Amino acid sequence: MTENGRFGKVFWAALSRYTVMYLLLGVLCLLFLAPFAWMLSVSGHDLAGVFAEPYRWIPDRYRWENFGLVTSLLPFWRYAANTLFITVLVLIGTLLSCSLVAYGFSRIQFRGRDTLFALCLSTMMLPGQVTMIPLYMLFVSLGWIDTYLPLIVPAFFGSPFYIFLLRQFFMTIPREYDEAAVLDGAGRLRIYWSIILPLARPALAVVALFTFVGTWNDFFGPLIYLNSPETATLTLGLSMLKSQVVGTGATQWHLLMAGAVLIMLPNVVIFFLAQKHFVKGIAVGGLRG
Amino acid sequence: MNPVARRRNLLPGYLFISPWLIGFLIFTAGPMLASIGISFTSWSMLSAPTWIGLGNYERIFTEDPLFLRSLGNTAYYVIFSVPLTTVLALGLALLLNQRLPGIGVFRTIFFLPSITNLVAMSILWIWIFNPEVGLLNRALAAAGIDGPLWLQSETWSKPALILMSLWGVGGSMIIFLAALQGVPPDLYEAAELDGAGRLRRFFHITLPMISPAMFFSLVMSLIGGFQVFTQAFVMTGTAQPGTEGGPNNATLFMVLYLYKKAFQDFQMGYASALAWILFFFILVFTLAQKRAGQRWVYYEAGDRP
Amino acid sequence: MKPHLLLTGTLIAASCLPGCGRQDVGGNAEVVYNCPANAADIDALKNEIPAFTAESHVNIKLNPFTGQDKLYAMMAAGQAPDIFYTNTTMRDRLAAEGRLLDLRTVSKGDPFVERLWPAVITNGTSPDSGWYSLGNWSFTLGVYYNRDLFDAAGLPYPDTAWTWETMRRLARRLTLDADGDGTPERFGIFIGSHFVEAIEQMNGAGIRPNTLLASLPDASAEAFEKYLSLMEEQLMPDIRRVQAMGMQPVQLLQSGRVAMLVEAVPHQMLIETLAIRWGVAPLPRFAGKPPKYFRTSSGGLSISSSTRFPEAAWQSVKWIVGKASIYQPNPVLRDLDFVGGWERRYPRLPGSGFREVWTLSLLHDGGDPRFFVRFSSWTSASILERLQPYLDRLWAREIGVNDVRTALPEINAHAARDLQDLLQREGIKPAFRRVIERELRSLERGAEQ
Repeated sequence: MTENGRFGKVFWAALSRYTVMYLLLGVLCLLFLAPFAWMLSVSGHDLAGVFAEPYRWIPDRYRWENFGLVTSLLPFWRYAANTLFITVLVLIGTLLSCSLVAYGFSRIQFRGRDTLFALCLSTMMLPGQVTMIPLYMLFVSLGWIDTYLPLIVPAFFGSPFYIFLLRQFFMTIPREYDEAAVLDGAGRLRIYWSIILPLARPALAVVALFTFVGTWNDFFGPLIYLNSPETATLTLGLSMLKSQVVGTGATQWHLLMAGAVLIMLPNVVIFFLAQKHFVKGIAVGGLRG
Repeated sequence: MNPVARRRNLLPGYLFISPWLIGFLIFTAGPMLASIGISFTSWSMLSAPTWIGLGNYERIFTEDPLFLRSLGNTAYYVIFSVPLTTVLALGLALLLNQRLPGIGVFRTIFFLPSITNLVAMSILWIWIFNPEVGLLNRALAAAGIDGPLWLQSETWSKPALILMSLWGVGGSMIIFLAALQGVPPDLYEAAELDGAGRLRRFFHITLPMISPAMFFSLVMSLIGGFQVFTQAFVMTGTAQPGTEGGPNNATLFMVLYLYKKAFQDFQMGYASALAWILFFFILVFTLAQKRAGQRWVYYEAGDRP
Repeated sequence: MKPHLLLTGTLIAASCLPGCGRQDVGGNAEVVYNCPANAADIDALKNEIPAFTAESHVNIKLNPFTGQDKLYAMMAAGQAPDIFYTNTTMRDRLAAEGRLLDLRTVSKGDPFVERLWPAVITNGTSPDSGWYSLGNWSFTLGVYYNRDLFDAAGLPYPDTAWTWETMRRLARRLTLDADGDGTPERFGIFIGSHFVEAIEQMNGAGIRPNTLLASLPDASAEAFEKYLSLMEEQLMPDIRRVQAMGMQPVQLLQSGRVAMLVEAVPHQMLIETLAIRWGVAPLPRFAGKPPKYFRTSSGGLSISSSTRFPEAAWQSVKWIVGKASIYQPNPVLRDLDFVGGWERRYPRLPGSGFREVWTLSLLHDGGDPRFFVRFSSWTSASILERLQPYLDRLWAREIGVNDVRTALPEINAHAARDLQDLLQREGIKPAFRRVIERELRSLERGAEQ
């Protein structure tokens, strides 16, 4: 076989492989993106347009005012501020407590450490509903219902998944750093704060990201602990919007979709900004799992 | 480490983990015990609880058809959703594990749905599943198929929720992708030299090498599947509040049933008993998985099971 | 130690958060009113409250509220609002646990009570004879019909004494299957399944308040069959399809997919947005049965028994029902020209049949059958939980009316069991306890129906 012939064969094989792959990926892509596109499309219609037969994907006039309408039906910015407030506090609490605890589990050898760690991990299996009612009554007796405290305070006491993640990461940090610091006379807390934490920045970033997204999207907590509409979060607000626009006889779907778009937006923005960290974090969690 | 050092480390050790330990006692262990106690009472939260012993449990197991229904619904969801999402995630990961230009874009697109707000996603999919004007039935109609009533149909409402869960496989997909990328290529080369075909390479190299990740993903999916709540709550309560879990209780999952009993019927004792039974199931299944995992999960020397 | 400072600091900041105690506005008693979360209504109320406060020295704080489940939780958390809406079920439950104020204690000698229709007070009374809720709205049902479609088909408009058979004939003429594919593009009528009790009422199924058990008298069974036959003969679209559209019956009428629609009268959104030429007729009667029109006032405003200002709360309730402009003219008051008020506000109403429908409902007030045709508010939750699936399948035509009938004894047994569990709770007030015990005893004696 001549050189040219072989080159031709390889070229066509590669091209067909590329085509097939891209075609497949393209189709899947379309399937995955279709719901988003649909959501954006419905958000721009008015009620008649939503039900029009045949449906027009792109309305002749995109009704941007739907978004404005949603922000007036719901105190959107207020809810966003509330959610941000809760999220930031939870973030601080989680990072602090989980890293402290992970340091304890990874760097200090003490009796009962492994049993306690196994206990910590096993609590991940516990469905929140088992403790839901007594916790609710606890918060009632403390007078914390309808405040943000039930959502924030537990974050300062660690969360098993992130403790696990951070511990795994800490264990990869060479002990030479610790030993050097000890020789310099540093106490444990000092080591933790000045040496381990800075080195663990990637892992901390991952924990921060996941905590942020998880708290931002949290539904069940605000659902049962927050009562007054002033204190509601965005997610809760969206479900309130749903009950509000479900009128007798006609639901305003275009408004609901617009609301959904607004709620999803922060998530998407954060995602694009911090994509790499997300992916790395999940990967690390899964690999070491 | 010598025993003297270990004892000296006792105080600092416990101090460092004290946030978790205290939190565990206050927010987990304490409530768990309290919740067992509550499950032996009849309590409406407004008045004092009344002790009824095993009454709740008796009622659940002998006289509550809805409990069995919720159990069945949850089992259905888990049995179908977990394998399907795992297979899809693996498939997508395999697809993405190639050196094609622009593969990162596709990865982003597949991953995006899994980090969006679950409530917003549920509302979007209510509309997608609308039998008259929703995206899905319109697409099916274009292909000449008369789509079912989805969320309004007893037979199709759970499949609808399972379909929605497939859209969010991004998380598992990333785990698998990372695992696939961690498989040393020389293993493949050696196998190819030995004459192993594509399929054999897949089953005998790829799968075992990613089995830890698969195990992790399965366990997390299982635990999550048992606790499915938000989707059912948001998507099936459209007709009137209080009708969540329909039609005909086809989407009444265990956690939803629990929530309804607690916050709509105000039977706290009963709801607590249900919660413990749910926990029991999760425990049993997770332990069973762990045991099974010891057999099929392959770890390289040095990793701990 | 920086981490510790940070910790303490944030915790202090976190505790100065919303929800930390309420304060009374200087000099005025303040009551909290859980109002429906409708932005326009709230704005209107907010504008009028200052005038009310100036006159009565009572400030109403509005708490926009969605979802009944939260009310109970709020009460348990000690954050009960002073004024809130309750339906019959909630009212009886809360009253039984002593959470509602008996309105008779604050309304003694108040001339406002004379302005109310007697039915309003009766409907707000619980089995212990306490008056726990003041009806805040009332409506009846009517058949909205598309006059253009009637004209095009050369059909006469429905008159006030039309019968079910006439309605069927008209519906048959208005149903259209132009492309012959077996599915009509236009149906003659749509009646939501949540209105089926009205049909039972029309057919003579009696309302018996405070029964505990579900029953299916023959009149009800007949009504079900008639309702189902509408679907079977394709005069009416499949319930589930319509439900799946997200409660869009109004859209069906608007777009011409149905020619007649049963809905509330008055229905503000419908009246404001319906762009077709429409009229409204009363529900069609059944031949040989006396007219009995649906009228509801079974939900209303209640006052929490733990309110600090019962008198102020009563003043507020009176103002909301009697004066707040968004609720005027209020049909619960008999000294107002309700129809006139609506006709003045909406010029489309005169000549539409609205006046006739309303007057008929006053003349032949059948009450609200929704809880009482088959079962009472006490057991409605536990019966509905088990009965609704059967009804769902009935409307989906997967089972027949007799299947529902045969399931009733078991459903009732569960309801009785739930009641017995209820009695075990210590917090139930004695008056209610006696009522339940008496009913359960007569049940055991086999005195059913």
